[in-house]
Amino acid sequence: MGGIYALVSIGLTLIFGVMNVVNFAHGEFLMLAMYLTFWVFHYFQIDPYVSLLIVTPALFLIGAVTQKYLIQHLIRAEHYTQIFATVGLSTIMANAALFFWKADYRMVKTSYVSSTLTFSDLVVSYPRLISFLVAIGITVLLFLFLKHTYLGRAIRATSQDITGAKLMGVNINRVYIFTFGLGSACVGVAGALLMPIYYAFPTVGLHFVLTAFVVVVLGGMGNITGALFGGLVIGVVEAFSGFFISPELKEAVYFVIFVLVLLVKPAGLFGLTKG
Amino acid sequence: MEVKKVNLAYGQMQVLKEVSLQVQEREIVSLIGANSAGKSSMLNAISGLVPLAGGEIVFEGNPIQSLPSHEIIELGIIQVPEGRRIFPLMSVRENLLMGCYSRRARPKSGETLQRVFELFPRLAERRDQLGESMSGGEQQMLAIGRGLMAGPKILMLDEPSLGLAPIVVEIIFKVLQEVNRQGVTILLVEQNVKESLDISSRGYVLENGRVVLEGVGKDLLENSHLKKAYLGL
Amino acid sequence: MRFLKGNYFLGFLILLALLVAVVENAFVLHLLIMVFTSIALGLAWNIIGGYGGQLSFGHAAFYGIGAYTSTMLFVHLGVTPWLGMIAGGILAVVASLVLGMPCFRLRGTYFTLATIAFAEVLRILVVYFKEFTGGSIGIVLKFNAGFLNLMFKNREPFAYIALGFMALTYYLSVWIENSRLGYYLTALKENEDGARALGINTYRCKLVALMLSAFLTALIGSFFAQYLTFIEPESEFSLGLSIGMTLAVMIGGIGTALGPVIGAFIITPLQELLRIYISGEYQGLQHIIYGIVLVVVVICIPQGVYRWVLEIIFKKRTA
Repeated sequence: MGGIYALVSIGLTLIFGVMNVVNFAHGEFLMLAMYLTFWVFHYFQIDPYVSLLIVTPALFLIGAVTQKYLIQHLIRAEHYTQIFATVGLSTIMANAALFFWKADYRMVKTSYVSSTLTFSDLVVSYPRLISFLVAIGITVLLFLFLKHTYLGRAIRATSQDITGAKLMGVNINRVYIFTFGLGSACVGVAGALLMPIYYAFPTVGLHFVLTAFVVVVLGGMGNITGALFGGLVIGVVEAFSGFFISPELKEAVYFVIFVLVLLVKPAGLFGLTKG
Repeated sequence: MEVKKVNLAYGQMQVLKEVSLQVQEREIVSLIGANSAGKSSMLNAISGLVPLAGGEIVFEGNPIQSLPSHEIIELGIIQVPEGRRIFPLMSVRENLLMGCYSRRARPKSGETLQRVFELFPRLAERRDQLGESMSGGEQQMLAIGRGLMAGPKILMLDEPSLGLAPIVVEIIFKVLQEVNRQGVTILLVEQNVKESLDISSRGYVLENGRVVLEGVGKDLLENSHLKKAYLGL
Repeated sequence: MRFLKGNYFLGFLILLALLVAVVENAFVLHLLIMVFTSIALGLAWNIIGGYGGQLSFGHAAFYGIGAYTSTMLFVHLGVTPWLGMIAGGILAVVASLVLGMPCFRLRGTYFTLATIAFAEVLRILVVYFKEFTGGSIGIVLKFNAGFLNLMFKNREPFAYIALGFMALTYYLSVWIENSRLGYYLTALKENEDGARALGINTYRCKLVALMLSAFLTALIGSFFAQYLTFIEPESEFSLGLSIGMTLAVMIGGIGTALGPVIGAFIITPLQELLRIYISGEYQGLQHIIYGIVLVVVVICIPQGVYRWVLEIIFKKRTA
C-alpha cells in the first residue's frame, strides 16, 4: 500500500512544487481513475494491470484539461480562492460519481486477487507486491525523466525560479499543463493498481487524499523523494497500526503523526525549507 | 534593435517615460543609471516579462513588444538577469543546458557547451557542482554562460558586476568583449559606470525613467554632469 | 455608518420576529429556521475563516461535538439541552485548542488540511466508541415537549431561538469587527509576517478566534440535535456539512458580517428546495450544484454578493 500512497503523494507534491497550487480534488482524480479501471474491466474484460496503459494517459488528459480551463485561473488568485475552488471541484466530482454511479462499492475480481507469494515466513499478497514494484518503477522513471530530459529540467527549473525559467525560453503555461497532467497520470497509475486491492466508491478519494497530504508534509512539499519514502513509511505504519491497535483507528494514527511531525519539523522529515 | 518611446508602469507608478534607445548590430551599448531609474524594467520589458503601457520595441524590423517571453528567446534576445537567477538545485552543467532550452539553441548544445567552458574554465572545473553552492562571481559566470548557451544575437545583462570583487569584474568584462568580438551584440545595464563605458561604443543615461544623456562612450565619460553624479568627481 | 447599520439590523430582526409570529405554514417556518441557523453557522465560521483568513473545512467537528455532547447528556443523564449546549460549547473550545495549538503554526493550506483531517478523525472516533455514542446508527432523541427540553410541538419557538442565535452571532461579529481582535485578525490575514513584525501575537489571535468560532458552532449543533431529534456521525461530522457552512459565507461575502446574512438568504432556501425535490431520487445532484455554485462564485465574484453590490453602487455614484 505504501507504494500506492507514494504514487498519489508524488503526484500531489509535483503539482505543488511546480505550480504552488494545492489540489484538493486530487483524491477525486484517484476515484475517477479507479472507476475508469472498473468500467474498463466490466465492459471489456481488460485486466487492471493492463488497463493501466489506458487509464494513465486518460488521467493525464483529464488533468491537462482541468489545468488549462480551471486551475490556470487560480494560479494568480489568492490562497483562499484556490482552496475553495479545488474543494468545490472535489465536491462536484465526488457527487457526480455518486449521482451517476450510485454509492455501491465496486470491485474488480480477477483470478489473482487473493493469491499470495510466500517468502519463508512472510506472506505477501500478490497484487500488493505488484503495486509496490510498479510504484517504485514509475518513480524511478519519473526521476530519470526529470533529470535527463529537457522538459523534465524545464519543470524543475520552473519550480526553482520561475523568472529564470521564463528567460530560458520555457513556455510556463505549457509546463503547467504538462505538470498537472503528469501529477494526474501518477494518480491514474495508482488508481489502476488499487482496484484489485481495494474497492471503488464515490468518496474513496477522501481517505487517500488525506493520507497523501500527510505523506507530502512528511516528505516536504515539493520533494519527490520525500514523497516516495513518506508513502512507504505511512504504508508500513498503517499496516502496523491496523494490526496492533485497531483497523478502525488507522486514520486517527496518521493525524497524530501528522500533527507531531508538523510540530517538530514543519518542513517535513526530508524537508526542503520552502518557507 | 530599436526601442521607441516606451512607457512602462507598475500600477500607478510610471517607471519608464517615453524612453527611446537604439542598439546596432555588433555594438556594445551601456544603459547607466542609479537604482530604480528604470533600467531593469527596460530589460524586462524587452524580454517580454512585463507589458508596456505604450510605445514600441522593434527587433530586426519586427515589432516584438507584445510577444510572450519564450518567443522573444527564440528570436535570440537573451537576458542575463539581475541577481543571476541561476537554478540553485541544479548543477552547473544542468543550468547551462537549461540555457539552450530554446528550439534554436538545442541542436548545437554540445558545441556551445564546449565554447562556454573555454570562455569560463572555472565553470568547467565545477561542472557537477550545485548552483547554490557557488560563489557570487562563479554564479555570475554561470549566468552569463547560460545566456551564451542560447546562442544569442543580442545579449542583455542586468548589473553583472553587482556585488563582485574588482578582479572578477575585470574577468567578466573581458569575456564580454571577447563575446562581442565573436559577433554578439551587447546591451549592458550597469551602475558601474566607468567599466561599462570603457568597453561600450555608446551609452545612455537613465534617470527617473527618462533618458537624460546619450552619446559615444568616451564622450559620456568626459561629461561633467555624469562625472559629478556617477563618478563622484 | 456602523451604528446605523446596527440599528437597521435591529429593525430587520424585529421584522423577522414578526414574520415568524405571523406565518403558520410549517414549511416556511422550517425554511426560516434553516436560514437563521445557516446565518449563525456562517457567521461563526466567518470569525476564523473570514476575519482570520484561516479556512477551516472541519467545522463539522465542533458542530458534532456540540450535538453529541448535549444529546448524550440529555439522553443518558437528563440534563437540559440549554446547559448541555454550554457543555458542548466548552468541549468544542477544548477541541479547538487541540486542533489550533499545533496546527496554527502551519501555513494556510496545511491548516485547512488539518481541519479536514480533524473532523474525519473525530468521526472515526465517534463511530469507534459505539457503546458511548451509538456508533454509526446514531442516537434518536425521544420527543418530549417542553421548554427545558428544548423541544416543541410546533416550529415557532424553534424559529425564535434560531433567530436569537442569528442575532447573537451577528452582533458578536460586528463587535469583533470593531474590536482590537478584529484589527489584529485583519492584519494577520493580509500579511501574517508583517503583523508579527508589528508585535501582534498572531498565534494567540487565531486561537481566540477559533475558540469563539468553535463555541458558537457547537451551540448550533446542539440546537439542531434538538430540532431534528436525531444525530449520527455521518451527518454531524461530514465534510459536506463543513463545506456547506461556508457556502453562504462565500456567496454573500467572506469576512463581513452582512455577507453571510445575504448569502444564507440566497442559498439556503435553494438548498432546502433542492434537498426536498431532488435528494431522494437523484442522490448527490444537489451537492454537484453546490459545488458548481461554489466554484463559479469563487472564480467570478470572490468578494461575495454583498461587496459586489456595493461596488456597483459605488461605481454608479462616481460615474
